[in-house]
Amino acid sequence: MTDNNDNTTAETDGGTGIVAPDDETPTWSERKARKTGLSRLTYEYFERSRREDQDLRTESDYVERDVLGFPTWPHETVRNLSIASFFVGMIFFLSATLPPHIGPPANPSSTPAIILPDWYLYWSFGLLKLSPVNPELSILGGQKLMADRTYGVLANVVVVGFIAMVPFLNKGSARRPVEQPFWAAVGVGGVVFAFTISVLAVQNLVPMNIDLLFDLTFLLPIVAGIVTYAVLKTMREGYMYDLNRRYYRLRPPR
Amino acid sequence: MADEFIKGLTIATAGGLGWMVLAGWYRTSSFESAAQLVEPVTVEGPDLFNGIAIALMDVLLWFAILGALAFWVLIPVGRELRATYDERRSS
Repeated sequence: MTDNNDNTTAETDGGTGIVAPDDETPTWSERKARKTGLSRLTYEYFERSRREDQDLRTESDYVERDVLGFPTWPHETVRNLSIASFFVGMIFFLSATLPPHIGPPANPSSTPAIILPDWYLYWSFGLLKLSPVNPELSILGGQKLMADRTYGVLANVVVVGFIAMVPFLNKGSARRPVEQPFWAAVGVGGVVFAFTISVLAVQNLVPMNIDLLFDLTFLLPIVAGIVTYAVLKTMREGYMYDLNRRYYRLRPPR
Repeated sequence: MADEFIKGLTIATAGGLGWMVLAGWYRTSSFESAAQLVEPVTVEGPDLFNGIAIALMDVLLWFAILGALAFWVLIPVGRELRATYDERRSS
């Protein structure tokens, strides 16, 4: 580079030199030599995408205006009508080309061997199988305080209550999981628990020791949450918190 | 990059939809079967339209797979290779 080059170009990465200008793109060996970890990788990733976004905006001839939304008519209405038409057409197409076979009527006098709710209710069904953790209280002489089925129903209350509580504990101001690793870990743990408790509901179909399955049901969510927290906490060092500012704040009038 | 993604996605969904319908016609004995869409082809009468549809079934399946593969993997890899090659040459 000579001194005649245009030096007024903005330092888009804060002058750290991690993301090179276009004419100084590092080779693969140079990149490897300077790679120091997940946080650096996170920084490079977001800085690179931000730079691409900025370049695209610079090249574009679209006039940016400070708007908060689009009017309902015609913009939103036409868009929603076209989306609705697409899905209605898809329903017509599939029902015309692949009409489902209508089976024989159910026989009310015979009970099927396996009775299961719909798959999205497996988690609730799995909560009814928590009898191993229904404590036998010594104060009652080894008796259980409540029946296993009552215990399972109350477990539903606990889960629904926790889900109802989360919005009061965290208002969701983070734009990406990396901004709040703890709550992201709680969310990942919840999703994994929803899956494992669903698997517990169909334990007859799982080729695994029932006790091991029961333990994994509660251990896997914790492990997944810890791993998520560790990864996101490591990434957070390289994350730029003002990345999204322009998208969520109106620019001042010129 | 986004253009390549939506091209691949369009090919995958459109080709996959066509293949699913034809396989539902020719390779499905029951929608409760565990091998639906991949059963051996059963044709009642071998006429021209059945022949076209059966041939089209394989064409659409491979179009969906290879088309998505081309736009999501092969073309980006080719571009990266060309960029790397140009970079090595110029330096």
